[in-house]
Amino acid sequence: MENQQEDESAAADLLRDRFRLSTISIVQSEAKQNNMEISEPIVACISDLAFKYAAEHVAKDLELFAAHGGRKTVNMKDVILCAHRNEHLADLLRSFGNDLKDKDPQSEKKRKKKSRKDDNAASSVLHIPDDT
Amino acid sequence: MSDNFDPDLIQAIFKLIWSKNALAGTSKKNRPTSANSSALKMSCELLRLFVTEAVQRAAAIAEAEGASKIQATHLERILPQLLLDF
Repeated sequence: MENQQEDESAAADLLRDRFRLSTISIVQSEAKQNNMEISEPIVACISDLAFKYAAEHVAKDLELFAAHGGRKTVNMKDVILCAHRNEHLADLLRSFGNDLKDKDPQSEKKRKKKSRKDDNAASSVLHIPDDT
Repeated sequence: MSDNFDPDLIQAIFKLIWSKNALAGTSKKNRPTSANSSALKMSCELLRLFVTEAVQRAAAIAEAEGASKIQATHLERILPQLLLDF
């Protein structure tokens, strides 16, 4: 039992390190766009924040949302639900989802009819000006 | 945006949590939850937005203070609202 826990925490540490590498490249390019330098400990801090957000909030929410829908597979709507407290964020994710569908239409063909309604609904709210 | 998280990495993180819960759970069929590829891509986008938002807000504070490097105090200032927004 203890061994298993050790394995799990080792796996979590490995994932955390891989996650940090991705975060560093995102943060650096974002900082460059803002003409800012960013100190190393802050990058690590943001990375840990994002990792905790992903593991403790997003993963659990997605599991619960899927279970509530009687599914074992998480879909895009579940992810949008994760951001339901922040209208702006939910809209960004919705437009991202529409872009994904546009780029890759053949795999979504079956859902086309159903999603057309969603597309129209989403595009009417996409024009909210960016105030950040 | 070319810089984003790797969907495989995010899937690995989710799986770690989901497999843990499936072991602890009492349901008859303990098959852990999984995610489809577009949901994973969207999760990557969500996390990327979290990270870029943190940097942009901290950069705005740093700029207002006339600093050229983002320091811990700048992150501290934006952290409460950031966590409320996500």
